[in-house]
Amino acid sequence: MRRALLLIVAFVLTANLAWAAEPAADLEAGKQAYLDNCARCHGPTGAGDGRDSKRMFPRPRKLSEGVFKFRTTASGTPPTDEDLYETISNGLPGSRMPDFQRLPEEIRWQLVQYVKSLSTAFKDQKPEPLKFGTDPGPGKANLGKGKQLYTQLGCNACHGAQGLGNGPSAATLVDQWNNPIRPADLTQGWNYRSGSSPKDILVRLMTGIDGTPMPSYAEAVKPEEGWDLAYYVHSIQAEPRWNSTVEAVKESLGWEKAPRTDLRLSGNFYKDGELLPVTVRAISVQALYNGTEILFRLSWHDPNESKEAPADAVAVALLQDPKMRWRAGSLRVLPTEMNSIPAPDVTQWSAKEGSASGTYQDGEWVALLKRPAPAGKSAGLGVMVWDGGNAEQGRHRANSNWVELILK
Amino acid sequence: MKRGLKSGWLVVMSLALIAAGNKPQEAAAVKPVEAAPAGGAVISGKVALAGTAPAPAKLQMAADPVCMQQHSAAVTAQDVVANNGMLQWVLVYVKEGLTGSFPVPAESVVVNQTGCMYQPHVFGIQVGQKLEIVNNDSTLHNINCQAKTNKKFNIAQPVKGMKTTKSFDQPELGVPFKCNVHPWMSAHAGVFSHPFFAVTGADGTFSIKGLPAGTYTIEAWQEKLGTQSQKVTVADGESKELNFSFSGK
Repeated sequence: MRRALLLIVAFVLTANLAWAAEPAADLEAGKQAYLDNCARCHGPTGAGDGRDSKRMFPRPRKLSEGVFKFRTTASGTPPTDEDLYETISNGLPGSRMPDFQRLPEEIRWQLVQYVKSLSTAFKDQKPEPLKFGTDPGPGKANLGKGKQLYTQLGCNACHGAQGLGNGPSAATLVDQWNNPIRPADLTQGWNYRSGSSPKDILVRLMTGIDGTPMPSYAEAVKPEEGWDLAYYVHSIQAEPRWNSTVEAVKESLGWEKAPRTDLRLSGNFYKDGELLPVTVRAISVQALYNGTEILFRLSWHDPNESKEAPADAVAVALLQDPKMRWRAGSLRVLPTEMNSIPAPDVTQWSAKEGSASGTYQDGEWVALLKRPAPAGKSAGLGVMVWDGGNAEQGRHRANSNWVELILK
Repeated sequence: MKRGLKSGWLVVMSLALIAAGNKPQEAAAVKPVEAAPAGGAVISGKVALAGTAPAPAKLQMAADPVCMQQHSAAVTAQDVVANNGMLQWVLVYVKEGLTGSFPVPAESVVVNQTGCMYQPHVFGIQVGQKLEIVNNDSTLHNINCQAKTNKKFNIAQPVKGMKTTKSFDQPELGVPFKCNVHPWMSAHAGVFSHPFFAVTGADGTFSIKGLPAGTYTIEAWQEKLGTQSQKVTVADGESKELNFSFSGK
């Protein structure tokens, strides 16, 4: 019996060690995997200058500089191997960094070692893992306390009182390389780069996000309190209603009965081969119609109101035949290079004119846009948004994909 | 898989600890110091700004009422401060000529954040010496230290009275401190392996005391105007005057 036990213990130990062993570093294998999977954006030497690097925003990280945003370690110390493994495995939502689940785990570990070899950061400093306390679990955290902490800890200075990324210091933020940078819109959990769970939020709070203005709160707050704050921030995330259809209902039913569809937006405008970033990443759309007209209610987050040129603006593009949206090409080529027939019919609302109704409050625009109803029961619909505060005008704007508008 | 990994690491780490005989590693311990060369020489002087001083930029503190309320008059940038042709906030130090090592002072260097300004704006500190950073404001400050040779850090001090203690383990010139919440806030440190440095006062004067006899390169560093250096030889107990002049840009 004792012998059997010993055997089991020995087996468990060796099994554990076998699991534990990140495969022995094989930098040649890591390099090959890096060149195959990473160099296109991060560049062959990790200088962040891959051939696609200018065609995306945020720009790919300069791995050779050894500054890593997403860690479980103290500010200014490098990430653990597991941190890098997580980033490679899960990608960074809201950026062009995809997840690399398709690569075998062994290859991902080799990538971790190779990425570490690209900078001196891992020789100069050792990772200093932080402690994160115990997750109280859903429903157990003190959200009231969390809300208090949100203000006490000054989160609102950048992220804004409601978390929309429009705090008084938001506009002047720059990153370590002096590039303008925006604080996260905390209501858009789907756009958090490194996960939106309470644990993810707590870790970002305690470690800070190196290279950005987000500081480490490890010396300012205890993990127990941090969890209250993390659950509070989690609670203000709005659940997006992504859909590829927008249903317009009869005017008499009113806005309460008009289903809301959320559309993702992206910038697709290049200047000198570089993608110009856009501010607005999503828009909520509702629609009412009567016999002759259709009324859109469009709401989106914009950190500041711009009424002077370039003014904040929104536009809807309609294609009479919804099937044409497959041939219409991307919205980014509107208005001049449209090769679809007939050309889409665009109606714009601008904060400058103020003719149609639009209200700006606490970092959010709500605009009502009226136009003639489409002839049939459905149409192709595209939405475009301009943030004047980001000097967006003309084709420098945030575009949705084409979706189907259905008149119920 | 992940759980397996973590517990696996625990096993590896505890094995490593056992192998190391559970001796705690001496982290960043202060090295034993050779007897510091005693000395009584003094190098002092003035740093001037030739030509007209640029008008200092007025700081816009509107983003945070807590900052604005603490100033009755307009606050100006401290990157080039000249009074009657004399430059304040110039760091003057021995660049070359010292031998041996010097004990780390027991007292801390204190940097205050008051009225959303760093006090002092420029300071010297020895390798290993404690740096105490204090928030005297009822608002959030983040202390974003983008050192190049030393460890970077970016930490939050959301509450009035908060103190953070840091230190540097390598000599480095012009270590920048910034607050992203209040982007006008700026300070610079010089980290030295010896105690022979000084920062010019409002009248542009500095004084480096207690130097052993020797021939030294003395350098003056100004955050916007660069560096200037001069050679000087002092006998023990001797006082020498050394003046610098920067030309405005």
